[in-house]
Amino acid sequence: MFNRLRNKKPASSVNSDMLSKQRRYDSLVRALHADIFRYAYWLCGDKHIAEDITQETFLRAWRSLESLKDDKAAKAWLITIVRRENARRFERKQFDYSDIEQDQLEDHISSSTEDNAEQHLIRRQISRLAIEYREPLILQVIGGFSGEEIATILQLNRNTVMTRLFRARNQLKELIEQPQVRGQSNG
Amino acid sequence: MDELKFRRHAYEEPSCQDDDFLAAMQAAPEREAFVNELKKLDNKLERALKIDVPDDLAAKLLLNQQLHQHQRLRRKSGFTLALVASIAFIAGISFTLLRMAPVDLGQHALTHVYHETKALTLDRDVSVKDVNFQLASMGTLGNAKFTQQPGKVYYSTFCDFQGVKSLHLVMEGDQGKVTLFIVPIEARMVLEHAFKDNKYNGRGFTTDKAYMLLVSEKNVDLGHVKQEIQQIFI
Repeated sequence: MFNRLRNKKPASSVNSDMLSKQRRYDSLVRALHADIFRYAYWLCGDKHIAEDITQETFLRAWRSLESLKDDKAAKAWLITIVRRENARRFERKQFDYSDIEQDQLEDHISSSTEDNAEQHLIRRQISRLAIEYREPLILQVIGGFSGEEIATILQLNRNTVMTRLFRARNQLKELIEQPQVRGQSNG
Repeated sequence: MDELKFRRHAYEEPSCQDDDFLAAMQAAPEREAFVNELKKLDNKLERALKIDVPDDLAAKLLLNQQLHQHQRLRRKSGFTLALVASIAFIAGISFTLLRMAPVDLGQHALTHVYHETKALTLDRDVSVKDVNFQLASMGTLGNAKFTQQPGKVYYSTFCDFQGVKSLHLVMEGDQGKVTLFIVPIEARMVLEHAFKDNKYNGRGFTTDKAYMLLVSEKNVDLGHVKQEIQQIFI
């Protein structure tokens, strides 16, 4: 009842404000949720945790949507929130994740085809990559950010970012071209 | 751009579109092949990185936000309700306290006279029987009554003394109209025996069950009226 009374006076302006905020948020969610989810996944290595992080990220985004002035910067803004949310996860609960194999990805049912098998392999290798190499690579490949932008998001020097990108590709190339073959010696 | 720098750049950003990088690439076919190989790697990486997103994720995100918003509105309205309730509560308390505060009968009587100016202009010629009937119907004065007509009564009505039902009479005195208030005795009342302002003066006295307040024009001596009323009001 009080709500209705209270909303009566400035109803038109407040409601249209709310409506435009909602619309802006809707399009933000639709346009960027996939990238954000994938980014969260490659940060934490688990689909369910990634979904939780994505939820938290977008809730935070809703609460502070006013602080996003330029819609072009939305992706970088959201990624900053994802990174913070992912870090909070470790603040909250001090689980020891080092025991858990980070490269245990979901088993693909149809790994019979060569393509899927290869993709599975690449995913394994990516998740084996140290996080400091993985992160800039993801930002570049699926985020489409330039070296400069990655440096801003990760709060690093541009040269450091470029070096890490170099090492990331270098390591991946080697890993993919010569998969680890342990305990096997030919000849 | 030397070979080392070029290769480094290719690893850092194979799809770079900078002019000097493109020029360096086109300088030799091996370089172009090298970059293409890296681009192929990037394509593979991109496909691998693009894991499946749950179909309903966008809908879930929106739903979560809507629920959150709803809860916040409810919390807000709860706060408003609490605010309104406490204001009502404070208002109630202060009103009650106000009514319990001591009442200065003299001042109140003067205010009442000023307020009800028509009382002094009307001429209704009320009989003592009617006045006694009104006294009895108040119920708070017991058997109090006038034993005989106290001169001419111009006006008689019930009135309110800070929530106490009282009787308001205007009578004929020796030197003009005299207003008499009969107020049932109550603990919080404070009675002054003489009070005045620059137009009226008044006298107060007590009978068994009531405060009697007389008010008249400034120069009228009320002593006589007071004695007379003390004799006929029991």
